Amino acid sequence: MGFRFLNLIRPFIAILPEVTAPDRKVPFRQKVLWTAVTLFIFLVCSQIPLYGIMSSDSSDPLYWLRVILASNRGTLMELGITPIVTSGMIMQLLAGANLIEVDFSLKEDRALFSGAQKLFAMVFAFGQATVSVMTGLYGDPSEIGAGVCLLLIIQLVFAGLISMLLDELLQKGYGLGSGISLFIATNICESIVWKAFSPTTVNTGRGPEFEGAIIALFYLVITRNDKIRALKEAFYRTNLPNVMNLLATVVVFGIVIYLQGFRVELPVKSNRFRGQRGTYPIKLFYTSNMPIMLQSALTTNVFLISQMLYTRFPDNLLIRLLGVWTVCSSQLFASGGLAYFMSPPHSIKDALLDPIHTVVYVAFMLTACALFSKTWIEVSGSSPREVAKQLKDQGMVMAGHRETSTYKELKRIIPTAAAFGGACIGALSVLADLLGALGSGTGILLAVTIIYSYFEMFVKEQAAEGGIDALLF
Amino acid sequence: MADAVQSGNPKGPVRRRTTSPGGNKTVSRSGGSSSTMMKLYTDDAPGLKVDPVVVVVLALAFIGSVFILHIYGKFTRG
Repeated sequence: MGFRFLNLIRPFIAILPEVTAPDRKVPFRQKVLWTAVTLFIFLVCSQIPLYGIMSSDSSDPLYWLRVILASNRGTLMELGITPIVTSGMIMQLLAGANLIEVDFSLKEDRALFSGAQKLFAMVFAFGQATVSVMTGLYGDPSEIGAGVCLLLIIQLVFAGLISMLLDELLQKGYGLGSGISLFIATNICESIVWKAFSPTTVNTGRGPEFEGAIIALFYLVITRNDKIRALKEAFYRTNLPNVMNLLATVVVFGIVIYLQGFRVELPVKSNRFRGQRGTYPIKLFYTSNMPIMLQSALTTNVFLISQMLYTRFPDNLLIRLLGVWTVCSSQLFASGGLAYFMSPPHSIKDALLDPIHTVVYVAFMLTACALFSKTWIEVSGSSPREVAKQLKDQGMVMAGHRETSTYKELKRIIPTAAAFGGACIGALSVLADLLGALGSGTGILLAVTIIYSYFEMFVKEQAAEGGIDALLF
Repeated sequence: MADAVQSGNPKGPVRRRTTSPGGNKTVSRSGGSSSTMMKLYTDDAPGLKVDPVVVVVLALAFIGSVFILHIYGKFTRG
């Protein structure tokens, strides 16, 4: 059955667009250029509003997902990288669970598999665009008119196609990293910078206030007579981003960078050449940011279903157990039921006032992240068995172990590292949420891990090109 | 001449490795962790080949056409 599934894709392969691989290695400066161009297109796309929207101020059902999907409401990047991520995740899970048979050592299978991912990404983009237009996310379809509805769908699908091609362009070796991580990190950093320096004013009833934390700090200190109270307000105002939030963001950033360096170094030695020794590092963040991504995908889906059911049948006991939702500044927030215990407390004060919520939430986060992390190593091909095979292919064995016991030793270390690392990531995300760091805890962790991996990539590329001169001249 | 090189070969690399001062080499790419969401598009698949420049031009053309739509919408409505 499995093979037949991939064969179903074969006829479509010929019409799927495919970026040609570079015929020789792209120099570092050119890579930076391609990355910058890609980023520019993404940024422009996430600012231009979709043509034909009537309104987009209804409660946003995807509010919780926006962070990890790099999407902006009402713009061309409305779907962001959703189609790519969804299809990639589903296909990888299906392949990991052996529901579809793929032999990754065969070139043809690999091609079919990535073709299938692309095809599904386009199908998802079309489906999602149609559903969101037809359910009236941008205004009542009968009011907008059929022509504009069609235009909306075309815009969304085309934007999906473009983000897919840009991602492929980067991954094929023209640019650095992958489009997905680049777009996510950019989106989060943009919102953090905006919240720190935004010059827009908001009227809160006590006269206009600046939205950006730093701008507000200077404005308040300069204009107010009572400097102490001005400082206090800039640091602790509750309705808008304050300086404490900004400091918390910086602190979390620092902690994550510091922890990135934690690793267990397994001594390995070569079978083939006597005396060649090395280390195989197992990082604390072995699975990087995947646990947190999977965890937020899970909670978001629970939230979506719960919200939908609650707005339909608000009085059903079972549905109330799943989640009770209240409107808070035109956005639905969970205020009871299972969904409430899965959503982070809004501040330290809230966390202390409702200790049960806090404890349950922390326990849930840690377990979920640890479990997802352990599962991910199996799915993504970094399980002990794969690593042992990799070492064997390179003719390496762990120092002090025979080839057969290398696997056992790896099996002892890797799952523990993965689970512990996952729990650490979860704990950090909770910490960031409690401290009120700008963007959500999930967002910051994603951004920092991505930026760190870009930093590593830069260092590696520069070492290959010969020094920092390569970047400067 | 060729003979000499060949006979020297089997021992050459080994000796160099043992005598090199920084014998410690880190194996494998940075730490065997899996950071990306999917490992795809790594090799050429048979498909509609597009040049990266074409992708960028396509994206810019798309952005441009949406711009024109917006301007057109402004004129016809107001």
